[in-house]
Amino acid sequence: MSKLKWTGLILGVTGFLTPLVYTFPGLSLAGHFAMSIFLMAAVFWMFETIPIYSTSILVIFFQVILLSAEGFIDYSAAPYDPLPFNHFIATLADPIIILFLGGFVLADASVKYDFDKNLTRVLLKPFGSRTEYIILGLMVVTAILSAFMSNTATTAMMITVILPIIARMEPGDPARIGVVLCIPFAANIGGIATPIGTPPNAVVIAALNQQGLQVAFSSWMIYAAPLAVVMLFIAWKVLLRLYPPATDIISLTLDSKLKTSPNAIVLYATFAITVLLWITEGIHGIRSSIVALIPVAVLTLTSAFEKQDIRKLPWEVLWLIAGGIALGISMKETGLAEWMVGAISWDQFGYLMLLAVFGTVALLMSNFLSNTVTASLLIPLGISLAMSGIMEGQVFGMMMIGLVIALASSFAMVLPISTPPNAIAVSTGLLETKDMITSGLIIGVIGLVLIMLLSVIYWPYIL
Amino acid sequence: METKIYILVVEDEPDVLDSIVRDITVFEKFFPIEMADSAEEARELIDSILEKDDQIGLILCDHVLPGDNGVELLVEMQNRAETEDTQKVLITGQAGLQETVRAVNEADLKHYIAKPWQKDELTKITKELLTDYVIDHVEAPLKYMQVLDGERIAEHIRTGRGITDR
Repeated sequence: MSKLKWTGLILGVTGFLTPLVYTFPGLSLAGHFAMSIFLMAAVFWMFETIPIYSTSILVIFFQVILLSAEGFIDYSAAPYDPLPFNHFIATLADPIIILFLGGFVLADASVKYDFDKNLTRVLLKPFGSRTEYIILGLMVVTAILSAFMSNTATTAMMITVILPIIARMEPGDPARIGVVLCIPFAANIGGIATPIGTPPNAVVIAALNQQGLQVAFSSWMIYAAPLAVVMLFIAWKVLLRLYPPATDIISLTLDSKLKTSPNAIVLYATFAITVLLWITEGIHGIRSSIVALIPVAVLTLTSAFEKQDIRKLPWEVLWLIAGGIALGISMKETGLAEWMVGAISWDQFGYLMLLAVFGTVALLMSNFLSNTVTASLLIPLGISLAMSGIMEGQVFGMMMIGLVIALASSFAMVLPISTPPNAIAVSTGLLETKDMITSGLIIGVIGLVLIMLLSVIYWPYIL
Repeated sequence: METKIYILVVEDEPDVLDSIVRDITVFEKFFPIEMADSAEEARELIDSILEKDDQIGLILCDHVLPGDNGVELLVEMQNRAETEDTQKVLITGQAGLQETVRAVNEADLKHYIAKPWQKDELTKITKELLTDYVIDHVEAPLKYMQVLDGERIAEHIRTGRGITDR
C-alpha cells in the first residue's frame, strides 16, 4: 500500500471514530453516526484507500448497521425515527439507477454490434475533409454519443478513430494535439446533456427526487443541452486557437458498414425508440426510468443481449452512484446536512454568490476526485442550504444548486486524473500533461462563468 | 511494487546482441530489457525475474547458442506455467526445418525472424506481440499505450470495459 493510501486509511478511521467519542453540540445521536459515515466516505473517496465503489458499498453497510430500524443502535429514546433498512439498500434500485441500467444495456449492446463505431463514421461524413471541420465533427459526434453512452467508452472508441487520422498528419503539426484533446473534452462536455450522460447527473437527480422533485429527461436536456452545445463550440475554438492546424485538408477513409443481422436490427430499433421516448418525456409523461426497462427487456428477450453480456455490465458504477444517493439520504434524515450548513452564516452571501461558491468548489474538487464523488459530497449540503430558505423559493433553489453542482463537476478536465477520458487521451503519448492543463483550465473557467450566466439569464425563466 | 514486464534477449554474439537491443530500445522505458548469451544464463535471469513476481512478456532468442540451443530453451519455457504465455520469437539464420517445426509445435513460436533482419520489422513484431501480451495479462493497459499499438489497446478498453466513468 502506498503512503497516500496509508494516510487515507488512518485519516478515514480517525474520521469515523471522532463523532463516536466527541459530542458535537446541537447534533443528534443519529447525526453523529451519520457524520462518522460521512467523514469516512469523504476521506476514503478522496484518498482512494479502497476503490471508490467499495467506499459506496461501505456507506450503505454502515447505514444499515448504525442508522436503520433493524440496526444495532437503539433509537427508542432519541428523536430520530430510524428508516427501515430496505430504504438504504433500495438505493441500488433507485429509479435513476434503473435509468442508468437501461443506458448501460443500450451502450454495451451498441459496442457488441459495433453500432457506436459505424454510427460515428456515418455522422462524420458530412463534416468533409478540412482539418478544422474534421475536429468539429469529431467533437460533435463524441458529444452526441457520450450524452447517451459512458464518457469513457465513447473516448476509447473515438481514440481508435483518431489514431489513424493522426498518423496521416505531419509529425510537427500542432493540430495533432488538438485532435487528441478534443475527444476527452467533447466527451466530458457531452455527458452533461442528458441525465444518463454521466454519473454525477444521476446523483444530483436522485437527490432532487428524494425531495419530491421529479426531473424529466427532457427537462434536464432543456436545462443542460444548450450549455453543452455552447461549450462544445467554445472548446473547439479554444483548441483551434491553441493548436492551429498546419495542413488544411486531411484525407479520411471512413468505411462504415452497419451490421444487418437480425439482432443488430433489433438493437437499432430499440435504440431509436428508447432515445425517442426519453427525449420526448415532457410530451407523453412516461418516466425515463420506466422507458429504460424497454431496452433491458427487448434486448434480453431477443437474445441480442445475452447472459455473458449482462455479466459484463459496469455494475460497480451503479454501486458507486447508489452509495452517493444513500449518503445523501442519511445526511438529510439525521439532520446532519442541516447542522453542517447551519455552522456557517450563509445569509451574508448573496444567493448568486452561494451558487458561485458551490460551482467553484465542485470544479476544484472534481479536478482531483471522481466527478460522482464530488457530486455525492456536495449535493446533500447544497440541498439543505436550499431548504433553509436562503434562496428564493425552496424548489427553485434546489434545482439551481443541483444543476450548478452536476454541471461544474463535469467541467473539470485539467489533469489526466480529472476524468478517465482525460487519462486515456494522455496515455496515447501524443500530448503532454501541460497541454491538457492549459486548455482544460481555459475551458473549465469559461464553463463555470457560463454556468453562472445561465443561472441569471436562462434557468430562472424556464424552471 | 507494480509488476514489471521484461523483454529477454538471448544471443551469443555481442555485436548482434547489441544491435537487437538497439532496435527495440524504444520499448525499454516500459519493458525493461534483460540480456543473456546462453540458455544457461537465460534460465538464471528467468528465475530471478520470476522470483520478484515480475513477468517475461517477450523473448527474442537466437537458435545456435553455446550449450543448450534456443529451441530447447523455448520449449522449456513453454512447459513452465509462469513463462507459458511469454511471446516467443526466434531470431536466427541457422535453425533447420526440423528444429523450427519443433519450436512452432512445442513452444508455440509466435514469429521466426531470419537474420539479417530489418529494424522496422523487428520493431513492428515486438510492438504487436507485446500488445497481445499486455491485452491478455494487464488489468490497466493504459500506461503502455504510447509505445504499443494504441488503436488495439483503445479497442480493448472499448469492448472490455476495464475503465469506466467515475
